[in-house]
Amino acid sequence: MRQLTGKTGRHFWRSLEELWQTPDGRRFMASEFPALARNGISINRRSLLKIMGGSLALAGLSACKSDKDEAAYPYVSTPENVTIGEAKWYATAVTFDGYAQPVLGKTFTGRPVKLEGNPDHPMSRGTTDAYTQAALLGLYDPGRSQSPLHFGEPAEWSAFDAEMARKAEEFDRTKGESFRLLTGPVSSPTLLRQIAAVTARWPKARWHVCHPVSDGLQRAATVQTFGRPLDLHPAFDAAETIVSFDDDFLGPGPRQTRNAGLFADRRRLRQDAKGKTRLFVIEPIPSATGSMADERLPASPVEIDRLLRAVAARVGVAGVAESELTGRQMAWADKAAAALLAAREKALVLVGRYHPSATQALGLLVNDALGSFGKTLRFTDPVITVPPGRDDSLKALVDDIQASRVSMLAIIGANPAYTGAGDLDFAGAMQKVAVRIHAGLYQDETAALSHWHVPLQHDLESWSDARSVDGAVTIVQPLVRPFYDARSAHVVLENLMGRQANDRELVQQTWRETWRENFDARWRQSLHRGLVDGTAAGFLQPPVIHRNVADADGPASGLSLCIRPDAGVWDGALSDNAWAQETPRPLTKLTWGNAILIAPKFADQLRLKTGDQAILTAGSVSVKAPVWVMPGQNEATLGITLGYGRRAEDSIALGLGCDAYALRRSDSLWHRDGVSIEPTGTGEVIATTQLHQAMDGFDFVRTVHISALAQAADHSEPPSFYPDRPQQDPSWGMSIDLDLCIGCNACVTACQAENNIPVVGKELVAEGREMHWMRIDHYYEGDVEEPKSYFQPVPCMHCEQAPCEMGCPVNAAVHSIDGLNLQVYNRCIGTRTCSSYCPYKVRRFNWFDFTKNDAESIQAMRNPDVTVRSRGVMEKCTYCVQRIAEARITAAKDGRPIRDGEVVTACQQACPTQAIVFGNVADPNSAVSRRKASARDFTLLEEVNTRPRTTYLARIEDSAEEEATG
Amino acid sequence: MSDMATERDIRIANKPARIPLRFPAPRTWWLCFAVSLCLLILFFVAATVLLLEGIGVWGLNIPVNWGLAITNYIWFLGIGHAGTLISAMLLMLGAHWRNSLNRFAEAMTLCAVVCAGLYPILHLGRPWFFYWIAPYPNTMTISPQFKSPLSWDFFAVLTYLTVSILFWYIGIIPDLASVRDRARTRTAQVLYGLAALGWRGSAWHWARWRQAYRITAVIAVPLVVSVHSEVSLLLAAGPIPGWTSTVFPPYFVLGAAFSGFAVVLMIAIALRHMLGLADLVTARHLDLLARFLLATGLMTAYGYWVEVFDTLYGGDLQDVETLLDRVTGSYAYTYWSAVIFNFVPLQLLWFSRVRASPTILFLVALSVTIGMWFERYMLVVTSLYRDYLVSSWGSYAPSFWEWSLYAGMLGVFLTPFLLFVRFLPVISAFEVKEALRETGDLEHA
Repeated sequence: MRQLTGKTGRHFWRSLEELWQTPDGRRFMASEFPALARNGISINRRSLLKIMGGSLALAGLSACKSDKDEAAYPYVSTPENVTIGEAKWYATAVTFDGYAQPVLGKTFTGRPVKLEGNPDHPMSRGTTDAYTQAALLGLYDPGRSQSPLHFGEPAEWSAFDAEMARKAEEFDRTKGESFRLLTGPVSSPTLLRQIAAVTARWPKARWHVCHPVSDGLQRAATVQTFGRPLDLHPAFDAAETIVSFDDDFLGPGPRQTRNAGLFADRRRLRQDAKGKTRLFVIEPIPSATGSMADERLPASPVEIDRLLRAVAARVGVAGVAESELTGRQMAWADKAAAALLAAREKALVLVGRYHPSATQALGLLVNDALGSFGKTLRFTDPVITVPPGRDDSLKALVDDIQASRVSMLAIIGANPAYTGAGDLDFAGAMQKVAVRIHAGLYQDETAALSHWHVPLQHDLESWSDARSVDGAVTIVQPLVRPFYDARSAHVVLENLMGRQANDRELVQQTWRETWRENFDARWRQSLHRGLVDGTAAGFLQPPVIHRNVADADGPASGLSLCIRPDAGVWDGALSDNAWAQETPRPLTKLTWGNAILIAPKFADQLRLKTGDQAILTAGSVSVKAPVWVMPGQNEATLGITLGYGRRAEDSIALGLGCDAYALRRSDSLWHRDGVSIEPTGTGEVIATTQLHQAMDGFDFVRTVHISALAQAADHSEPPSFYPDRPQQDPSWGMSIDLDLCIGCNACVTACQAENNIPVVGKELVAEGREMHWMRIDHYYEGDVEEPKSYFQPVPCMHCEQAPCEMGCPVNAAVHSIDGLNLQVYNRCIGTRTCSSYCPYKVRRFNWFDFTKNDAESIQAMRNPDVTVRSRGVMEKCTYCVQRIAEARITAAKDGRPIRDGEVVTACQQACPTQAIVFGNVADPNSAVSRRKASARDFTLLEEVNTRPRTTYLARIEDSAEEEATG
Repeated sequence: MSDMATERDIRIANKPARIPLRFPAPRTWWLCFAVSLCLLILFFVAATVLLLEGIGVWGLNIPVNWGLAITNYIWFLGIGHAGTLISAMLLMLGAHWRNSLNRFAEAMTLCAVVCAGLYPILHLGRPWFFYWIAPYPNTMTISPQFKSPLSWDFFAVLTYLTVSILFWYIGIIPDLASVRDRARTRTAQVLYGLAALGWRGSAWHWARWRQAYRITAVIAVPLVVSVHSEVSLLLAAGPIPGWTSTVFPPYFVLGAAFSGFAVVLMIAIALRHMLGLADLVTARHLDLLARFLLATGLMTAYGYWVEVFDTLYGGDLQDVETLLDRVTGSYAYTYWSAVIFNFVPLQLLWFSRVRASPTILFLVALSVTIGMWFERYMLVVTSLYRDYLVSSWGSYAPSFWEWSLYAGMLGVFLTPFLLFVRFLPVISAFEVKEALRETGDLEHA
């Protein structure tokens, strides 16, 4: 007891509590009286949180200090000294499903407030997806795990270290016998190096991976065809004809940003009549990709296999036995095959990564027959490394546990107790392991079953490295000092080996070994750019070694179920992220929950309507959930998404939705046949932001057939009683290309992050009180069985003749000289007349004080350039007026006009397809003016004559029927 | 004119002045007052919850961000207009029979305007800043935005309240003096004396009084038209299908008079019964009120018809859609309730026997009051819940606290009104006397 022995005189310690006040004392207590330490001495959780809250603010401040041993390099300028209010940008990455999503983090005095895509990184080109935008909230989440837990009670890291050191000694003796390491998907070279070190030191130890949304079946298909596991890299920008067999390549996922960007490149060529592109999609459950299709056909998973065979036979793949098709399907196969043959090596056939490997292998053979390898479809070695020879890694682990071959299980960054397939019963098996250790961001289901739970650091507060989908490595550098008493996964892995380490040094060590020379300069440059040169995986030209086509499956047995990751919470990794929860799913506009997707005709048969509860049974497992009637869904298929039915007690997701993992089997993760559905007769509250999606004959979304593209349009404005607004230079305006929008929600979440938009929760969303300034309307048109599906992002229209401005009695809604329709929050008294008068209903009202009770960490996250709104005021899209002001100030300082493209709104910046363009409409040469001059330009609700500054470009249709009829 | 008859008439005419001093129905009054006090307490509870928690305790949302509050605002204000019409317009037209009705009709107007005025304030997101609508010199150097119908609402309600108070007070001064003279206790003498402003009934007093009363009446009558036209602009100025219609101002004014006459009729029948005023509020009065009700009701019905015709004749897709929503949508019950409650029982008033039956008249008037409430609710909600973009369609159901505030607001209406009934002359005694003198005999009139 140094603190006692060191003191002279009357320094008695009165109680253990006093001793507990000092870290040393706590450490001493933990080692001397572990049982006492486990219960903690009058540290109640509330006071602990208070202290932590206070320390947060300090954490932000302390990060201002540039510390010699932890230099992080700013993207633009070196921090000679920090100017308060001036943002600094750092290149880093957040990981999503194992992959790096390259970002630039905007920080104010050490607080990250916004993530943008890294423009220097080819996988981002400055854009992001919604998940990446939401990662910021993950950093500040007050619900994150904040200190180690031992048997569920707060504990000290030192106790953990001591126990791990003891264990390490034991494993040194047994060579790691019965030690198992379980991680999430890993692309990090450093983590892989460390794992290799573990297995080298303890040869009998085993590494397993828990990857609920794995590419296992795609890898299996490449092994089957090429004899080795490979990643597929479709070149959408080069493809003239794309036929997707339920591959939702534009849908949510780690590749969405890249795929959508390339896809949009090709579409732009078509818009300018410089290149062709047609998209055929066949899918059981409507998806973002399906809604962008020129030709779409709903089909059950089994029918998809048959249709692929039909197409394969038509393009000349040898040895394909065709099975029966309906006339409609036959015609569709003919059409798709003809288009593929016409495009030849510029054709691309994709098979969904969730389909059987045999089907996917056949897809590869079709591409081979067309000659598209190396042109529209390229291959690299897998970016995510999996343990050698263990494709069903988690099942192997459970088998080992059941056979009593596991005495200690360390789980890092995975939640198998929740994400394990239902038939594995991982939670049950786990409890047979003598020592269970879990390191994670949250006290999740697995943490609850573990002896030790230790908190992991968020990507934005730790050092690491990770590879993006093209294999290029980004070094993950922290934007802020760690908030909580957490460690990075790298450090925890060292701890498991009985060592202490520093995450930065671990990462540096990896790259020192890789580069060998010139380390400092390369390190510095890599951090600066957010990309390590020369690490992108090289394209391979693997020879096809196996051309046998597997026999078709028998006829489908009854109703089948498609299990898919969720567009909001993915596999559950974002369950605790309120932004992700409240993001309306692209097609259903559902928030805070999942639902059983069901085809309209089938729902009619069962007398089910949206919101009715039903029991879904697959094998011996049943789940209860509300149904969602999904136009365009295949009649014999039901759909459900992962990520709900969480059981962790502290999770904000507790009690939301149903657990689709329970329905999974480890041998068929994505599809179940012979499922049944039974209405329960009751209803459930479902929180959707759009109750009605049929366009009802209106022309909110306009389309133009590709053959009519060249025709000039009439852009004259109808006459108005009101005098014209004087047009200043600059005058701001926006153009949104509906031909490019894939409804991915990146803009919605980016807007939320940029503009301090609060989340309101499931109940208030259900009451119609969501706060998103930017919404993406989704419309159906035509037959409910096979409708056309359109997305329409709707920010404020910034009308020149704005009804809201006329309605406001207190001058809170006013027009600026540069054409912005502004809302002055501190003038607003909340009459809500502006919203009543708004034809677009883009205004959002603070029904309660949504911001006052925010946790301190959430307050620290707020963008200091944007006012936080209080109760009782109206708010809405401002065209990111803070960014306009910033550009205006910069330009004024340089004594020049604001350049075109200098003001980039948050939604525009995030948009992976760059569907949104913003700029000066008074300048005829600006990008936005050029767009508005297009024949496709149209105004939403033109007949109301509000003269909006936000206009749209019509969607281009290229389906044969349209041409025939229109 | 026989002496006997004159004596009896004077006894009748003096009756109103005696009522506050020797109240004829204390038990009924206390019962009513207890109920209205409970409602008033509910009002304070509902308003406190609202002010503490925010407007979110109501069922409003985007798109339906106006609901019960605006409905009741229009409804209460409309009710109030009948008092002014009966008093001021009939005064100017020289219809002496108004004298039995005008006092309590005016009091009803006052109470209704207070309720109507409270609603727009309580419905604000930040009610503590309601005065920002007023043009007052302020350090923020901003003035109201005069294009907004809400700015004009503010002036309209404030002006209307002021003029109504003046008109009612000027009218009651001679009677207050009469009560003062009859008062037995010192306190009553002092209080009524102060309120009577030293009225001695001299010829000068009468001459000045008559001038003032007529001038106020001349100001009040056009206010009815302008205030409720203004209120209609709250809806009609927005470019929202179902609102943006030029028929709204007259349609609203007529509807206001219609609902107001219904409430006056109900109150007349209730007071007549409670205070035994059958001699003063005679069958003829009820008959005349019923005729007015029928007339304004038919005019309102015409407004309904014009609105439908206008929409179909215009043929705008969005307008037709809104009309269909009203007639067949999820709030169709409000449209059909309005039509049925307003116009179906009303047809009974064609029969003179019905017009002579206080019970049936009361029920018809109650039906109209309910019907007009449904009409206001329908106009506000059905236009908002489905406007232009189908993507922003929503729905609305008033929450517990909205209904509580509505019930509580009835307390705000009833409590002062009952106090008026108890402590002030409910019928203008001197005017009745005057009328008697001029026409000879009330019974034969």
